[in-house]
Amino acid sequence: MTIDDLRNLGANVDEGVARCAGNATFYVMLVPKALEISRFETLDQCVKAKQFKEAFEAAHALKGVLGNLSLTPIYEPICEITELLRTEQDVPYEALLETIWAARNRFAEKI
Amino acid sequence: MEDEEINRLILSNILEKEFDVLTAANGQEALEIARREYNRLSLILLDLLMPVMDGYTFLEEVKKEPGIKGIPVIVLTSEREAEVQSLNMGAADFIAKPYDAPEIILARIARVIQLYEDKNIITATQYDALTGLYNKEFFLKYATLFDQYYPDDEKEIMVINVNRFHVINAMEGREYGDKVLAAIGKSIKEHVTESMGVACRYNADIFYVYGKNEGHEEKLMQTICDALKPLLEDADERIRIGVYSGMDIGVDLSRSLDHAMLVCNGISDKYHRKIVYYNAQIQEKEHLEEKLMHDLDRALSEKQFKVFYQPKYAVQGDKPTLSSAEALVRWMHPELGMISPGKFIPLFEQNGMIGKVDRFVWKEAARQIADWRKRFGVTIPLSVNVSRVDVLNEELAGELRTIVDEAGVDAKNYYLELTESAYVDDQSHIVTMAQKLREAGFSIEMDDFGTGYSSLNMLTSLPFDVLKLDMVFVRNIHNDSKAYRLVEFVMDVARFLGVKVIAEGVEYLEQYEILKKLGCDVIQGYYFSKPVCAEEFERFIKE
Repeated sequence: MTIDDLRNLGANVDEGVARCAGNATFYVMLVPKALEISRFETLDQCVKAKQFKEAFEAAHALKGVLGNLSLTPIYEPICEITELLRTEQDVPYEALLETIWAARNRFAEKI
Repeated sequence: MEDEEINRLILSNILEKEFDVLTAANGQEALEIARREYNRLSLILLDLLMPVMDGYTFLEEVKKEPGIKGIPVIVLTSEREAEVQSLNMGAADFIAKPYDAPEIILARIARVIQLYEDKNIITATQYDALTGLYNKEFFLKYATLFDQYYPDDEKEIMVINVNRFHVINAMEGREYGDKVLAAIGKSIKEHVTESMGVACRYNADIFYVYGKNEGHEEKLMQTICDALKPLLEDADERIRIGVYSGMDIGVDLSRSLDHAMLVCNGISDKYHRKIVYYNAQIQEKEHLEEKLMHDLDRALSEKQFKVFYQPKYAVQGDKPTLSSAEALVRWMHPELGMISPGKFIPLFEQNGMIGKVDRFVWKEAARQIADWRKRFGVTIPLSVNVSRVDVLNEELAGELRTIVDEAGVDAKNYYLELTESAYVDDQSHIVTMAQKLREAGFSIEMDDFGTGYSSLNMLTSLPFDVLKLDMVFVRNIHNDSKAYRLVEFVMDVARFLGVKVIAEGVEYLEQYEILKKLGCDVIQGYYFSKPVCAEEFERFIKE
């Protein structure tokens, strides 16, 4: 995974690297940690089990990490689901989850 | 502290260039680190949503930790509402998520640290560390501000003091003494918070309270005594409050403080009343004392002081014979008339000015001995008073020797009266000084014997030639058997020590006869004569 890969996938690389005090290698090293499948699985399972409180915590944690790394394509749907889960809204989440998974997987393929 | 490792790493990477960074994954872990390392911590960065202990709980817990609660906390959050809530809970600032550019974060952190350091410096300068009250400089500043807020209200100032506080420190240790002071400080703080006043610890065990004159002093006294009960059983006896009130307080605050301090210091153990108010009578006394202090130098140069002489008679022969006299000072003030020594001697003893008066009397007495010897051909020995402050002067013996030598008087005819209480103050010093004076040829009379607290054991080690029995013992000797037996006992002691006894204050024939019978050597008092001027005294010489 390179900086260019991330840029091509839509990450706001300049912002992310700046946050890492200009250290691109450090930035690239952090991205796989953010994409760890277990984080997304937790969110997925909790949402499907309608455990909205736990689902919110998982989404909120992902939101923080993805936001700091400026992985915008995943960050945006995560923000959307976080807001819905914050008020524990019992709405169909399938499409949103699918978008999240798809975005996450596109990034993960480059690892 | 941040539970997300990635966020922790990003932040650490930003901060490590300027700070040593300690990390924790939850509030509990952070609290443990903070307890251990609080001396090294300049700032805490706090995530809010964390497992085990969240950021809000951490903020609550920190308030209970004296070491940590002064460390500024910046909250890391992406939520608007959380920003407000955390600021309300004591956070110094917040950093939004996703994080701003590193330079913005560093600038915000630097600013908060600077602010807190400044605040801590101000706090340290402004407050007394032990009690949390203002220190005296800031007290005066805030008292002036208080006046500006309440210009039309009558104010009062209280000086609060613990009687014999040094004894608590000496007996129970300084740490215990500090507990006492802290408890007083806490009570005063509660009081001023409620009454909207201003308070400080002036120094050691002296506190000032300034506020509206609404008669709070009884309540404050009660609050302090209640708080002190577990530490001091006799708190009620020890706490003293001096009060000054009036519309003019603010005009000269430090003078008003002096007034309150004056009355506070005047409250002795014997007083039942432990709250005393500065009043017109005290003011009058204070004004008189100020005038006397102001006029002293002029009085000496204008010879307003006169030396009077009270004869002392040797009584063990067939008939009493004039043996010597005591030189006593009188002040003929041009405006106030004759001022009683009782008004100016204790005052000048207190402020050390008595030395000037004593020197005048010493010289005058030496000159008088020489003058009478020249004119009447007899030497009338004179005794002069040596004040406590004189005794501290290492040059005393030499100085007195010069005085008698210059007058051409033999030191053996020049007696020095040292008060008994001076012996008690610093025994070793006074013993050395009395020895020096005797070596210089002077006789020492222990004055006011019986009013001090000399132990019998101490008497044997003190160098003196004459014991001067205080008039309180003589006063009732003819109608009180206990007084009689006490004098009898003192006579025995004097005989045992091989010293003469002079009884002073003898007024009546009965007293004279009893004292003579008991073996008293010399008698001084109105029975023979009141103190008279030199010219009048010459009548006794002629007789």
